[in-house]
Order: sequence, then structure tokens, then C-alpha cells
Amino acid sequence: MGRLEGKVAFVTASGGAIAGATARLFGAEGAAVCCVDIVEENVNQTAADINAAGCKAFALTCDVTNDDAVKAAVDKTVTEYGKLDVCFNAAAYSEKRHRLADMPVDMWKSVIDVNLTGMFIVARHVIPQMQAAGGGSIINVSSIYGVVGAKERPAYCAAKGGVRMLSKSIAVDYAVDNIRANSIMPGPIETPRLLARNPSIEAIIERHGPRLHQKRLGKPEEIAQTALFLASDDASFTSGADMVVDAAYTAF
Amino acid sequence: MGRLEEKVAFVTAAGGAIAGATARLFAAEGAAVACVDIVEENVKKTASDIEAAGGKAIAIVCDVNDEEAVKAAIDQTVSAFGKLNVVFNAAAFTDPLLPLHELDVDLWRKTFDVNITGMFIVTKYAIPHMLNAGSGSFINISSIYGARAAKKRPAYCSSKGAVRMLSKSVAVDYAEHNIRANSILPGPIETPRLLVANKNMDDVINRHRPHLPAARLGQPEEIAKTAVFLASDESSFMSGNDCFVDGAYNAI
Amino acid sequence: MGMLDGKAALVTAAGGGIAGAIARRFGAEGAAVCCVDVNEETVNQTAADINDAGGKAIARICNVADETTVKNCVDETASEVGFLNVVVNAAAASEPLHTVANMPLEIWQEVMDVNLTGMFLVSKHAIPHMQAADGGQFINISSTFGHIAWPQRPAYMATKGAVRQLTKSIALDFADDNIRANSILPGAIETNRLLSRTPTMEQVREKMVPLHPIGRLGQPEDIANAAAFLASDQSSFMTGSDVFVDGGFTAV
Repeated sequence: MGRLEGKVAFVTASGGAIAGATARLFGAEGAAVCCVDIVEENVNQTAADINAAGCKAFALTCDVTNDDAVKAAVDKTVTEYGKLDVCFNAAAYSEKRHRLADMPVDMWKSVIDVNLTGMFIVARHVIPQMQAAGGGSIINVSSIYGVVGAKERPAYCAAKGGVRMLSKSIAVDYAVDNIRANSIMPGPIETPRLLARNPSIEAIIERHGPRLHQKRLGKPEEIAQTALFLASDDASFTSGADMVVDAAYTAF
Repeated sequence: MGRLEEKVAFVTAAGGAIAGATARLFAAEGAAVACVDIVEENVKKTASDIEAAGGKAIAIVCDVNDEEAVKAAIDQTVSAFGKLNVVFNAAAFTDPLLPLHELDVDLWRKTFDVNITGMFIVTKYAIPHMLNAGSGSFINISSIYGARAAKKRPAYCSSKGAVRMLSKSVAVDYAEHNIRANSILPGPIETPRLLVANKNMDDVINRHRPHLPAARLGQPEEIAKTAVFLASDESSFMSGNDCFVDGAYNAI
Repeated sequence: MGMLDGKAALVTAAGGGIAGAIARRFGAEGAAVCCVDVNEETVNQTAADINDAGGKAIARICNVADETTVKNCVDETASEVGFLNVVVNAAAASEPLHTVANMPLEIWQEVMDVNLTGMFLVSKHAIPHMQAADGGQFINISSTFGHIAWPQRPAYMATKGAVRQLTKSIALDFADDNIRANSILPGAIETNRLLSRTPTMEQVREKMVPLHPIGRLGQPEDIANAAAFLASDQSSFMTGSDVFVDGGFTAV
């Protein structure tokens, strides 16, 4: 008996490493998963992986900044699986490194649009479905950079700080509907996206210095496990919380 | 297959509601549990509940503030079960409601002796066994009052703030040895202890409004489920975190 | 001898209650102040108040969400005064109450534009002038609602959480340029803006004073005091900080 038996999950950015691992784990734990991403090939792969493991999933291509497209994706999920009660919001975009004064305004706006407004748009369409289902759990992926600063990433930091408060806002406003909302703040996680921005894993570990106490990066599966806890009824009294998953990075 | 199979846990205050529920759930998930409390009758009850359900447990009567007794309790655990992987530190003193200038130094010291020095002692003697085992997880019970002040509880609030930083300190110092430490900050949980200062549970809820947007108290089992997550390898990249389990209390 | 002699400050939303008090205090402390607002009448009044009191001020009409206007405003201020080394970012939209699910996307977007992108734009164009002046101070007005949540303010809270992180990003990236950046998180401050959601100040007090342990609403001058300290060289080791000026609101 899986820990998400009977639940239907909507997972954005699930063509990516972290949300992909989360979608696969949700599927393995018995949830029916709608895998959403802007890149068709990747999201189809995630859904196919879940199906190949004998679990329930389908893929949708959708830009989270497009209000109509998100509504259609949420509606499609409910048509397919009858309801929606878990939402893992992970779609994010990271700007090329710039100090604030050198950052083009369009770059700023696109980061805020995807990372913050996109989460708002997804939340506004999944909430009515969760109300109809008698409750739900929204898991928004913030970052340790929603709590501490990062060099040369003003828009990313601002958006992730915004995500943290957006989760609390939802937690407070929808507690009466039995809807919970929490943020996950991952530390540095070993993903292809991170590797694409750096010469090697060793270089990343080196750059993070003494705060990376175990001299290793986190794995996407370690974020997925945290998401599983928050999605499940095990976390029934946990709402509005910041789950920092960083091996004590920000404790130091 | 339980989520804590093959693990040995040491649970203080296991005669009480929260740690009792935790000890029972740890055992149900496959852990062997040393149930520790200062009150013999209560802790024996918890251990016998576990055994009656087919789990593995021993009961140990021990004052966490007595260094020799703690050392002996941990040794007894390791000789009974062969090792030690998980510590759930929950022993706390119920302080009287008094503003600071009316609080006797003795009561201040008593609160700190139990709530934080006791935790230090347990941690100190548990760590060598975790080093031997190659990993470990500390789950330390702080409180929402480790983040927000409660009226007329200066010693309790300060000691619970201290718990958060003790956890982070252990997290940072032992990360390289794969020992994790996290705090849980419970909101108001429905336990007999709450009735010391309140007429009934409705009173408690009313007193905490608007901090309880779902208008309910937490259950001991909801803390226990969070503790299972933190004790298990599912939380392998989580350390130094303040895990609020408070129905959004601290979000508002 | 004022504590801000030799400073040239640009203060956004200077026609409003809080930023108006900050501008007047800065003027009284010897700074040359450029008062900026979207409302001509109120910002002229603030500048006139400062000049009448023997200070030095100019007024400018500017919508902070419009890049060209912002750039002109900042550049003209710097050339008129000769330099620019202090920025108070206070402009914020006051949106009607909505939960996530019933907030129109346009309202969300407008709050993002003014509260967040506006702050980005003013900062972006002020930084080169601060670099030319060998340093400077940003005082960014967040809110206690950038830390804890409140019903039906999702967009406001998301931007105020974002402001804290944007501030840390600036603090980190421009420390080498001797530029400091700090956030102020005010509690409920007695301004006309509070009356946009509650009919009378008496009703505001009834609702909000019990939540502030200090037993009163904050006054704009309370925030001005903190801002003057942060703008002055007395706070020279403070950067990236969250300064709560909230009468204990978030402590309980």
C-alpha cells in the first residue's frame, strides 16, 4: 500500500531532475500523476518512466506563465483522474549570473514571471479543485536562496523569497478548506541544470566551501522524499512551513 | 517492510503523549526502541504497548539530567539492541506561568537542566555510538515557543530557542560523520499536559486564535509521523532544519 | 550637525505616510532629499515641508514601474544634487483583499510591477551613482508580512518576502563597492493607507493593537528613526539585515 494511494498529483517542471524524481516517487507511492513541463520530450519521458513501472501518469506540455494553458492542464488532469489533491510547484528559471545593475530588465521580468507568477497561476487553478476534493497539499519549491543571499542572482533570490511567503499566504487563507501549503528550500542539488552551469561537480563543491559539510551535493531523490512526506497525510499538521533540505548548509 | 527497519531508537519522555506516540510509531515501522522516562509507570506502559503490538522495546527509568544515569541508559540500550541510530529528545519540564521578575532562579535552572542540559547529556553519550554505526539522526523537540514568545514563560521560551541552536550545532559538527540533527517545533498539541494551564481543549483553541487558521489542535501522532520521516533515510539531506509542525501557527 | 550631513537621498513614495516621515527626518538630519511619488500633490507637500523647515528637498513625479521615467528621475537627481548615495525604496501598491484563487491575474501583476520590479528598477539605476560616490545605503521597506502571513494578501506578501531577498542579493553583490542594503519590516503603522481596508482608525486600533505587545500602533516616525540609523554611518557594519520595527508583532 503506497503512501499516496488514492491521490492525484499535478507536478510542474517534471521533465527536470528534481520534479522528475518527485513525479516518479509519487507514482511509485500510488498517486496518479499529471506530469507538466514546457519541454515536451522530457515530460513525455517522465510519464513514460512512471507508466513503465506500472504506475499511473500522463504528460502535458504547458507554460506555467500562461494562465489559459495552466487552467486547461488542471482541467485535463481532473477529467483524466477525477480530482486533484496534490500540487508540486517546481517550475523555475535561473538567470545568467549578473549583478543587479547589469541585469537587463527583461531578464528580471522573465525570472519573476516563471518562478513567482507561475506558482501563483498554478495555485489559483489547483485550489478550487482541492476545495472540491475536500482538501489538498501544495508543495512549492523555493530555495535556500529564498532565505540567504546568493551572489549575482538578484531575480532568483527575490523570486524564491516571494515563493516562501506565497506558501504561507495560501496556508493561512485555505486552512479552513483543509488545504496545506509548504515550501521546500533545497540546498545545492546534483542536477543536469546545475552541471550545465559549472565545469564539474568538484568545482561546485569547491565553490560552496565549508558550508557543504558533507562535501557532496544533494540528490533529486532526497527532495522527492521530502515532497512525499509533505504530500502525504503524515504531514497533516504541517502547513506554512519552510522545509530546508540542505545538510545544514544554512545552519552554518 | 517498515521505514525504520534495522534501526535502534532512544526516545526520552516516552511515558508522555508526544514521545509515547513517537516510540509506538517508531516500533511499528520496525525500529527497536528504548523508551526512557523519569516516571516508571508511564514508560513501562509505552514499552508494553509496543511489545503487545509485536514490536521491540525496553523501558528505562532515567532522569535525563543525571549524567551517570543517562550514560547507563544508553549503554543498556546498546547492549540490548546492539547499536544506536536514532535519538528522539523530548524530555521537557512544565514550568509555572510567571513573568521573569517573579521567577525563582531555581525554577529557571530546573527548566534549563531538563530542557537543554538534559538534551546535551543524552546527545553527548549517544554520539559515540552513532559514530560507530556510521550514521545517526537526532530529532530534538523544540516548540513554536522556540520561535515566538509565549506569555509568562521566559525560561521555557529561552530553553526552546536553545534547542534549535543545539540541533544546528550538532548538525554542523557531525555532518561529515553522516549524523543529522533537526528540531521539530510543534504547535499546540492535544496532550494531557495542556490541561495543566487550561480548562479544556476548546479553551486552548480559542486562546491561540488567530494562530490556528484550521481551528484545531495537533495530535501527538502528527508529531510522531514527522519524527519517522526525520529518523528515516528519506530525510538524508535534511539537517539543521527547524521543522515546524504547527498547523501554520508560525506562518501568521 | 545632522547625522545625515553629506548625504543625498532619493525616497520613493515620499508623498505617503511612512516614506514622507522618512524624507522629512532625512531633511532634518542634513541630507539633500529627492522626494519621489506618483502623486504630484502629496510629494510636493513633503518637499515643501522639508524646505520650510530649513532643509534641502526637491520633488519629482515618477512611476517606479516605468524604466525610462525611473532612469531619468535618478540621473537628474544625481546631477542636480551632484551625487546620490542613499535610496529609500518604499513604493508599494495597496491591492484589495483577495485569496490566491479569486485574485485576478492583472492585480497580481500590478503588485509585482510596483512592489518588486519598481524596486529593482530604482536600485538598478541608482547603483552606478552610488559606485561613483564611493558607496551608499539602500533602505528597502519590506513588511512584517514579508515574514509572517495575513489573510487575503498573497501578492503583497510574496513581494515583501521577495524584497528581503533582493536586499540580501544587493548587500552581497555590492559589498565591494561599499554599498550596504537593509530591509525594514514595519508592523502596523498609523497611516491613511490602513484606512483603505478598515473604515476608521479606531477600528484599526481595536483589531491591531492587541497583536502588538507594545500596546499601540506604530507611528511613521518610528520607521523614520530606523531608516535614519540605517542611512547613517552609525550602521556601517549592518548589511543584508532584516530590521523588524513592529512593536513585538512577530515576537508572539
